[in-house]
Amino acid sequence: MTEVAPAKVYHDTIVIRLIQYSVIWALVAMLGGVWLAAELVWPGLDFGQSWLSYGRLRPLHTNGVIFGFGVSALMATAFYSVQRTCHVPLFLPRLAWFCCHAWQLIVLLGGLSLLAGHNAGKEYAELEWPFDIAIAVVWVCFAVVFFGTIATRKIRPIYISNWFYGALIIVIAMLHIVNSLAVPVGPMRSYSLFAGAQDAVVQWWYGHNAVGFLLTGGFLGMLYYFLPKQSGRPIWSYRLSVLAFWAFVYSYIWAGPHHLHYNSVPDWVQTLGMVMSIVLLAPSWATMVNGIMTVSSAWEKLRTDPALKFIVLSLAFYGLATFEGPMMSIRSVNVVSHFTDWTIGHVHSGALGWNAMITYGTFYFMAPRLVGAELYSRRLANAHFWLALAGTMLYIVAMWAAGVSQGLLWLSVDEIGELSFDFKDIMASMNPYYILRLVAGLIFLTGTFLMAYNLYMTVRGRPAQRATVPAVAPAYGVG
Amino acid sequence: MSASVGGVGSTIHSHLFFRSLYQPAAAFGELSRREPAPLGVFFGHSLWLLLLPPVFAYVGGANLGWRLGAEQPLLLPPNELLLISVGYFLTLVFGLFSTALISRWMAATYGANASLGRHLALITMVGEPLAVASAAHLFPNVLVQVLVLIPTLIWSMNLLYRGIPIVLETPPERGMLMASSLVAWLLVAAVSLLGISMSLWVLGVGPLLGV
Repeated sequence: MTEVAPAKVYHDTIVIRLIQYSVIWALVAMLGGVWLAAELVWPGLDFGQSWLSYGRLRPLHTNGVIFGFGVSALMATAFYSVQRTCHVPLFLPRLAWFCCHAWQLIVLLGGLSLLAGHNAGKEYAELEWPFDIAIAVVWVCFAVVFFGTIATRKIRPIYISNWFYGALIIVIAMLHIVNSLAVPVGPMRSYSLFAGAQDAVVQWWYGHNAVGFLLTGGFLGMLYYFLPKQSGRPIWSYRLSVLAFWAFVYSYIWAGPHHLHYNSVPDWVQTLGMVMSIVLLAPSWATMVNGIMTVSSAWEKLRTDPALKFIVLSLAFYGLATFEGPMMSIRSVNVVSHFTDWTIGHVHSGALGWNAMITYGTFYFMAPRLVGAELYSRRLANAHFWLALAGTMLYIVAMWAAGVSQGLLWLSVDEIGELSFDFKDIMASMNPYYILRLVAGLIFLTGTFLMAYNLYMTVRGRPAQRATVPAVAPAYGVG
Repeated sequence: MSASVGGVGSTIHSHLFFRSLYQPAAAFGELSRREPAPLGVFFGHSLWLLLLPPVFAYVGGANLGWRLGAEQPLLLPPNELLLISVGYFLTLVFGLFSTALISRWMAATYGANASLGRHLALITMVGEPLAVASAAHLFPNVLVQVLVLIPTLIWSMNLLYRGIPIVLETPPERGMLMASSLVAWLLVAAVSLLGISMSLWVLGVGPLLGV
């Protein structure tokens, strides 16, 4: 009599924990954003405390959202989907747990260091050198777990979502390590290895590709796994998804210099950044069309699945943000839009409309399945959907109006070529738009609180389901 | 307008468009029983609604000047104002037809009715509150526009989501997907307008910029 080996199960408790961390960071970092919006209306809200000042809270908001909320969500979804697309449990699960907790510690301590005033002075890379080293170590561990799982897979093809997650891991490691190269001069002080225009080019090569490979590529990995799962349909065109992946990877990496238009970097570098940004529209929209066509045949699911709505809408905002970005990189548009609130509106059409919406949809999908229960309240999820949509729209339109007004007034000149308006007066007149932005942020944050409560009630007191690894059809098996 | 008979090429009463402002569901229901001729819809209704925003913008801009936040209003020469208003009108006409055509193109994917006249009439009804609310252009202050047009925009989006399943006879869930796809197009169109406007300013059309 032969002994039957015990069935292997997926490591899903870690996924639940990462979702919980992600939701906590979403609440903290978005609350920080709302507070910042309020400070722009009532500057006295810092109460004279340096740690509550705009300059310290702002990087806390951006780092908290991107690295706390965003990366925790990406780790959760990558761990969930890579196991299921490779038909094996996670490679080195203890290392995966190390990634999970060490990452939260970095975000927590890093956030506190920002509040204490330690700032490397690079946007989206503000954390000082000890954190940079810690991030690199954890990121490499993340890579070992992810690629180790793929290397030990039982199914021959590597599904498209894994290509996007893989690109996220490799490119962010490369960007982070190169951009963070610095000479430490104290426990929390360092000088960048780069200087002047080179520093600017390296910084925006990092900054824009952090947007590209983390906030776009990573979340596309999420889309390519969870959209077909949620809609119960295969990707409309798998070939298009592969084509879009390579076009995306090739074109995104060049686009950074569009942040440096009319700056001290060579003209040809600016032009290259602009042209590659426009080229980028093709792969971005190929993915959008692929997503829309995938979901279009699964409309019946909308009756029962409130989560799918978030993903459908996230595609609309993805379409907007990936069109708006290339357009704003055109120099004749950028000369007016740069440094205005339109840029802030653009970032939030991506961050709220695309990143947050698709993450919310994915969490509503995963949480009930992970614990084998129904979602606590569909009504709350539906209410969250409309709050998220209203908050995002109000935010974008308010910032469009503020940005266009600023761009026009800052550059207006009289007959003899002198500036027509005083900068201080222009900014003082922006108050009503900043109030609208604050209202929009509060609406969006309220929706996020509803989700946090809904997910908490869904998973409360329930352990992760034991999901066993299914057998692989021989035609797709490895070896 | 002619008698309210259904069938291909039938025309529709002006009161139907007026009614869509205060009883949209009933107006959508009535439209779903007709096959209006596209040119009849455009010349009978859409054209006149599309004229409102540029006319209001011209009158407001010529009399009061645009207030973008600064103390002094931005007064443009009448010729330039006229040029911008004509451009505004042509953009709206392009926006209406392109949206109606894209909507009809999407109809096959979402199992919706493909009559161009219905698509044109539906998009006109959806945009009608915005055309009426463009009376805000008579007070050309950007903040007034934002405060009036944002709620109107939300109402128009609501009409789009409600109107598609009724007028184009598709299940509500498929209608929701179709409406979201159209919202993607409309958002892109809106942001394109911003980009085109800025490029034109830089090229010298509109306010004098030091670039």
